[in-house]
Amino acid sequence: MAQQAVKTLRQVKPLLSLDQGQARSRVLNLYKAWYRQLPYIVHKYDIPKSIGDCKNKLREEFLKHKDLTDVRVIDMLVIKGQMELKETVNIWKQKGHIMTFFKDTEEPKPTDFLSKFLTNTN
Amino acid sequence: MLRLGISKVLSGAKIQHVAVVSRAASDIAKKPEKIEVFIDDKSVMVEPGTTVLQAAAQIGVEIPRFCYHERLAVAGNCRMCLVEVEKSPKPVAACAMPVMKGWRIKTDSEMTKRAREGVMEFLLVNHPLDCPICDQGGECDLQDQSMAFGSDRSRFTDIDFSGKRAVEDKDIGPLIKTIMTRCIHCTRCIRFASEVAGVDDLGTTGRGSDMQIGTYVEKFFMSEMSGNVIDLCPVGALTSKPYSFTARPWEIRKVDSIDVLDAVGSNIVVSTRTGEVLRILPRTNEEINEEWLSDKSRFAYDALKRQRLVTPMVKGCDGQLKPVDWEAALLTVAKAMNQAGNKIGAIAGGLTDAEALVSLKDLLNRLGSENLCTEHTFPMDGCATDLRSTYLLNNKIAPVEEADFILLVGANPRLEAPLLNSRIRKGYIHNETDIAVLGPKTDMRYDYEHLGEDPSALNQIASGSHPLAAKLKKAKKPLIIVGADAMARADGGAIRTAAMKLSQELQSNIVDGEWKVLNILHKVAGQVAALDLGYSAGVEKIRNADGIKVLFLLGADEGTISRDDLPKDCFVVYQGHHGDHGASIADAILPGAAYTEKQATYVNTEGRAQQTLVAVTPPGQAKEDWKIIRALSEILGSKLPYDNLDQVRYRLEEVAPHLTRYGAAENANYFKQALAISTMAKGNISNSPLDVKQKKLEDFFMTDAISRASPTMAKCVAAVKKHMESKY
Repeated sequence: MAQQAVKTLRQVKPLLSLDQGQARSRVLNLYKAWYRQLPYIVHKYDIPKSIGDCKNKLREEFLKHKDLTDVRVIDMLVIKGQMELKETVNIWKQKGHIMTFFKDTEEPKPTDFLSKFLTNTN
Repeated sequence: MLRLGISKVLSGAKIQHVAVVSRAASDIAKKPEKIEVFIDDKSVMVEPGTTVLQAAAQIGVEIPRFCYHERLAVAGNCRMCLVEVEKSPKPVAACAMPVMKGWRIKTDSEMTKRAREGVMEFLLVNHPLDCPICDQGGECDLQDQSMAFGSDRSRFTDIDFSGKRAVEDKDIGPLIKTIMTRCIHCTRCIRFASEVAGVDDLGTTGRGSDMQIGTYVEKFFMSEMSGNVIDLCPVGALTSKPYSFTARPWEIRKVDSIDVLDAVGSNIVVSTRTGEVLRILPRTNEEINEEWLSDKSRFAYDALKRQRLVTPMVKGCDGQLKPVDWEAALLTVAKAMNQAGNKIGAIAGGLTDAEALVSLKDLLNRLGSENLCTEHTFPMDGCATDLRSTYLLNNKIAPVEEADFILLVGANPRLEAPLLNSRIRKGYIHNETDIAVLGPKTDMRYDYEHLGEDPSALNQIASGSHPLAAKLKKAKKPLIIVGADAMARADGGAIRTAAMKLSQELQSNIVDGEWKVLNILHKVAGQVAALDLGYSAGVEKIRNADGIKVLFLLGADEGTISRDDLPKDCFVVYQGHHGDHGASIADAILPGAAYTEKQATYVNTEGRAQQTLVAVTPPGQAKEDWKIIRALSEILGSKLPYDNLDQVRYRLEEVAPHLTRYGAAENANYFKQALAISTMAKGNISNSPLDVKQKKLEDFFMTDAISRASPTMAKCVAAVKKHMESKY
């Protein structure tokens, strides 16, 4: 059984980091980079949110993936996060794109029978 | 009297291929030896008398045909099925020629191909090239076969510039459109009319290129199953009038479903496009409808977008119904029901599905009420509806054609269940079935012995004092079919007991253990499921209950209860799909889904559970029925424990397991015990004559909320009435 499990393990090419420690430092670096940019983002995009709100949102977005252990997955998310950051800082985005992080206008879908019935979603 | 048409007897047509298939294989005394023939050099063993076409079909070789049809007599006049037989100088017509020992048949030889090509060419010479405007386009046998077997170029040149053959169109009623120029004279429609429908109206006149199919004189094709000739016609000569020019077969979506406009439960295919039902076609089910469909089931679909209830409504202070949203409607109904306590009643109509029935029953039971009943009356004395054998067509539909004696009591199967009637007629023609009728004299398209209208004749037959008794006792496979109208009488219980007694007596002479003499024929699709689930039949219970505060009408539209039967302050809720009688007396309306719009269970008169599938979405804000009741239950504060269809069906299975065994008909039993309980009930047969509600063809078309809203059905009624005035 154990042998079989070993057999199915596959050596994969790392994306960026070679171990958990490296991945962790990349994440922290990305976090810090975002953190430092927040005041400028709020100012330049003129969004109706305070810096504190944005800090909370940033923390929330990172904590969404707190349970990940696969280094490759973490690396990929870091790359995507960097791309997001670049797009934001260079004003390639518009105000609405920033606001979608907050999902203000999205209504949660009903889950129980009666509200599904009344909203015509069942 | 000749049961087969004279022409058929004279032409010596073979009919053994339509012979009744017997359930008991032991009936065949000895099997004749099989003979060997070779089809395309493949050996096949067949019984003597098998035609070349059938032998070929056994090994999967399909021979092209136009006139041949499994369920009709062989005509052999289209010549499309010509095949070569070795050592035979001429090709033979495969549909009519019985095989001989050792024949070598070549279905793909040069001679066969040339014969087919020649036939195709002759057919196309006399056929218009109007495929682009022909309704049959895309499902036309002539089109398909000319592509497969025809020549790739035409030798037809109109040297005299006289034009192609043209034939005047006939007016044969509001359902069938005729473009007789397209006719290739396969005579399938004629054979269907005379053999299956029993209306000998269609026939041929003239010979050769002057041959015409028609009704001889200007008259309508007055049959309750006339629509089937549209399916039978291999070309576009007979097409559906309501469907004309609406769609092409490749652009429609087809959904398998079940018909609910009578209690037979015919299998259908619903064709839809852009959220609209465009047409309904039969789906083959040998145990129920073979491949036929009654006109009501086929053409009443246009009612599915007329007179519909599309939004919840509540009666305002000015006494007018006002559209409201679901929340307001449910709150209003819930408020009334909460105030009523357990003084609630419910009436379920004939088109209601089992899911809605079980939810409504669960809800009312939770509120402490047992006042649940169906709209259609059925005897509730004696053993009532406790034993299924007392309210089912126990012997099933298909074996009806095997019966050698059928006694119809207060039933008109021709109009109440046309496909059952076609089985009876099939038995009458091919199996020498004798039929006797107790009830009003109506036209059923076969001869029968009329026993008068006095229901007490049943007792006389049972006691042996009636002249019919001896004959009935000699019968090996007798059937007694009791109609719903006889059961709806005040003395229905006594009639049923008499029928049970007689059946029990006959049952003892029968060898076949599967054969059940006692059969009840219902008229509506929802009745059996309701009785299975424990609804009591008839609205007497509601009339007698004192101080009903809320009456819940679940698709009850027959007007069996009116405002006068109810207390002044009674709040009437109507849930259903059509604005008919029920909606007109309601204080609140909850719009439900029709049978093409929900996945729902229906049980037919033989006790066979089948399900409809969703073909289109319900219009407007209408919802599936069980969901409405489930939502209402939550607002009422006694939530029903099911959230999706699977859970409702699990509940159905808990109550009655056969309701979710789709396609299977659960046998009923305990005939003796049912009789023993029934005989304890008091009450005698009154001497008022037996009557049926539907007597003439015009009574057939509009019988329920759906067909009453159908313009096509209204046209049919008008056409029948007009036809009655004509001299033919």
